[in-house]
Amino acid sequence: MIYEGKKKIWSDYQKDIPDDHFFYVRSCIRQSFFPASEQKFLEICNQRLDKDFFETEKHTSCGGIAFHSDAIPIETSLVIYARQFSLMNEFGYKNFVCSCITSFGLYCEALEMWREHPDLEAKTREILWDTCKREFTKPEYLVHTSDMIYKYRKQIAALAKYKLINNKTGKALKVVEHIGCHYNKIFPSKSVGGAEYPYVLAGMIESWGGEIIDYPERRHCCGFGFRQYLVKADRGYSLSNTHKKFESMEPYHPDFIIANCPGCTYFMDRWQYVISEMEHKAYGEYGYGIPVLTYEEVAGLVMGYNPWDLGLQMHQVNCEPLLDKMGIEYKAKDKYKGLNNKNIGKPALTPYLK
Amino acid sequence: MGKLYDKLKADSRLGDGLKSCINCGICTAICPAAEFYDYDPRVIMDKVQSKDDKIIEELLKGEQIWYCGQCMSCKTRCPRGNAPGVVIQVLRKISIEEGYFVESEKGRQQYAINKMMYHNLTTYGYSIYPRTFKYSMHPECGPVWEWIENNLEDVYARNGANLDKEGPGALRKIPQESMEEFRRIFDATGATKELNHITKCSMEVAEKMGLNEEEYFNMVFNETKKDHLNH
Amino acid sequence: MNNNRNILIIGGGPAGLEAAIQLQKLDYNVIVVEKSDHLGGHLAEWDRLFPDGIEAKEVLDKLLNNLVGVKYFLNTDINSINLLDNCYNAILSNGITILAKAVLIASGFELFKAERKQEFGYGVYNHVISNADLEAYFKNGKDSRVVESPSRIGFVHCVGSRDEKIGNIHCSKVCCVTAVKQACEIKEKFPNAEVFCFYIDLRMFGRGYEDLYLKAQQEYGIRFIRGRVSEVAENIKNELIIKAEDTLSGKPIQVTLDLLVLMSGIACSTGSEKLGEMLSLSKKEDGFFECKDSIYSQQLSNKKGIYYAGTCTGPKTLPDTFHEARSAAMAINMYMNKE
Repeated sequence: MIYEGKKKIWSDYQKDIPDDHFFYVRSCIRQSFFPASEQKFLEICNQRLDKDFFETEKHTSCGGIAFHSDAIPIETSLVIYARQFSLMNEFGYKNFVCSCITSFGLYCEALEMWREHPDLEAKTREILWDTCKREFTKPEYLVHTSDMIYKYRKQIAALAKYKLINNKTGKALKVVEHIGCHYNKIFPSKSVGGAEYPYVLAGMIESWGGEIIDYPERRHCCGFGFRQYLVKADRGYSLSNTHKKFESMEPYHPDFIIANCPGCTYFMDRWQYVISEMEHKAYGEYGYGIPVLTYEEVAGLVMGYNPWDLGLQMHQVNCEPLLDKMGIEYKAKDKYKGLNNKNIGKPALTPYLK
Repeated sequence: MGKLYDKLKADSRLGDGLKSCINCGICTAICPAAEFYDYDPRVIMDKVQSKDDKIIEELLKGEQIWYCGQCMSCKTRCPRGNAPGVVIQVLRKISIEEGYFVESEKGRQQYAINKMMYHNLTTYGYSIYPRTFKYSMHPECGPVWEWIENNLEDVYARNGANLDKEGPGALRKIPQESMEEFRRIFDATGATKELNHITKCSMEVAEKMGLNEEEYFNMVFNETKKDHLNH
Repeated sequence: MNNNRNILIIGGGPAGLEAAIQLQKLDYNVIVVEKSDHLGGHLAEWDRLFPDGIEAKEVLDKLLNNLVGVKYFLNTDINSINLLDNCYNAILSNGITILAKAVLIASGFELFKAERKQEFGYGVYNHVISNADLEAYFKNGKDSRVVESPSRIGFVHCVGSRDEKIGNIHCSKVCCVTAVKQACEIKEKFPNAEVFCFYIDLRMFGRGYEDLYLKAQQEYGIRFIRGRVSEVAENIKNELIIKAEDTLSGKPIQVTLDLLVLMSGIACSTGSEKLGEMLSLSKKEDGFFECKDSIYSQQLSNKKGIYYAGTCTGPKTLPDTFHEARSAAMAINMYMNKE
């Protein structure tokens, strides 16, 4: 691996990311499975870094999962996106940031479709007016929340209490970075680093002291597949794709995985549990799995947040091995507590995954 | 050039996704669905390119078009600027419109997908919603989800969400006026019409099979009888 | 200026040199301007030529030996050139001014920079080289990227050609036969290796090419797989894993290799951009210069006194380049006699 070669390619795909004043929309999967990540994103940006990221309760799902599973037509999707942009206009913002990768891909596609087919844009505007009495202007900038953490990575490094280093050995932690397909495969030029050697997550990891590992199936889809997961009969597809990635990364012994797509983070976490049940195999050390984290969770750990404030207890794969490696102090007994130390029980043990 | 091809062509995405294909196979090379399923996006593009209605009808009634996982890895690599994943979207749309989707096992799953998605979106404004994401239907989500499901309010409160409450936040209750706008969009753009159409086609098949609605839902949700895999 | 017998030839590669030789024999005052530090262009870099394996040095030596009397400047660019009365006035980067009634553009080609096809990992993975690298390896015997005894070697056709994503939709013509040639040559060097060619179409158009293809299969056992390579990755043993589809059997495949050779395509040289602007020469969409007539008058441009020879007007073989050089020389001679 020749690192200079990769660096040259990254420099080809410099994305223009504004520094401040964003209209923020949420992700369905992250709301349900990683709500603390979304909350921490806003807290880190607004409180710790003094930025202006605004959310209105009026916004909805973009319907991306429904669109990609053929449950809603493209016409519905386009008007939904138009409504979201209209809300952005309503509150006086020009920069649009979304929390989901599928959303990001679809918003980019919508802008492209409207540009290439003005009749589609006209129809969208007409229906938006008929149904909502709303009009919209397109955002000046359209970015993803991982772009923002990437943009602020050095400021986060400056506020860091911990580094992505193994406390005992002093060596950089080995990190697998997983990029959601819809971030850079549809419009490589709209991503940081392009389709082949994306830098949005690698840049974060490097700024925070870790080491990125490349492995053969790095660019392989995690297998969400939308309809391939929603219906139980199809889930083997999802599982097989993620399984392929784990088998490929295993020889490199990664300390953790960072992902910027909600679905990917969820799948890479949960399928390790399923594989442990089916094959009695765990990919981490000593019977543990490989912790799978969102970029806010990694940023949060590095900044010294309490892991249970970051929502790591909502993952199926336990993150304690990583916390121990980083030398982060945490209270094991508080992991599954509710607010105000309320005892709400804890999940059943997984016999083949520590 | 026939009726079905014209319907495909009427969607601008067909022209965007298929300009002309040289059959180089770069899409199939990288396609995750081609690795596991008996699926070849190159062959599908070639079939659409033929503009032959008989071939296209067979495609729309078959299992093939439902294997794609919409990752768009094909679009990144195609040297002609095509995107099989986008063409698949149009093929699926016409298969649904023509009622052909019920002829294939994977196509019949559309009933379950539409029912779940439409309900989540038009009731809560979200594609995924914890109260409808049942552990019994998602055992792969692991014992941690079972625990979350049994302690929904507490877990979400602890993790910074605003479950079903007013104001901004994760899983908030989207205000009434916004939900009404959202639902009107579904009605005006054909999403509701599509749901009704899919329900009608599916219930006709259910009746032929002697199944009630719940039995049919469970069948398409849980069962695979055919061998779909790439051997 | 009627007795001005100057002829300016821009480019000291095979086209420029052969035209210079012919025109010098006709008693013109030929000046060749070459921007690099050597004569011969890419011919000076090659090892053996297709289809029969003639040594490139043999051909180059022939050219250089026949160059008697021709003046040439190395490491020299054209800073400016414009029409003055009936003559072209060229100011070279070494300060010299040349006035010539006729100018031959023989500015040649550049190889596509393989690192631009990022998914193939050139410059990133240790064992990925280009067709030019392989020729140099055959010539000099050394390249740290080639392991001591590779057991599985692959050739990727159409790198930077027939590719909308890169912006080169043209076919580079000579890479297919070069790949077959190099596949045979590397099999000669490593007889126990398995050698694969990943192609889309096999363009064996020239005399002796189909024979070379037959030989490659029958004598050398080269495996031809019809499928465009989508991605190259590296495993923990530094082996390369390529993904393609074997389109003839309709199945996606993954092949592990010790060495991968990328067949970089041909594009019009960047020097010609500036030249084209200075002389208002039109180019076609593929970036090469546009001839007066693509069937009958490929040696003529649309400008009086400007002639073309060689790959600046499109990918071509060496024999074709020599034909064009002689044809351009004849056209220039007729033009000079009329004036």
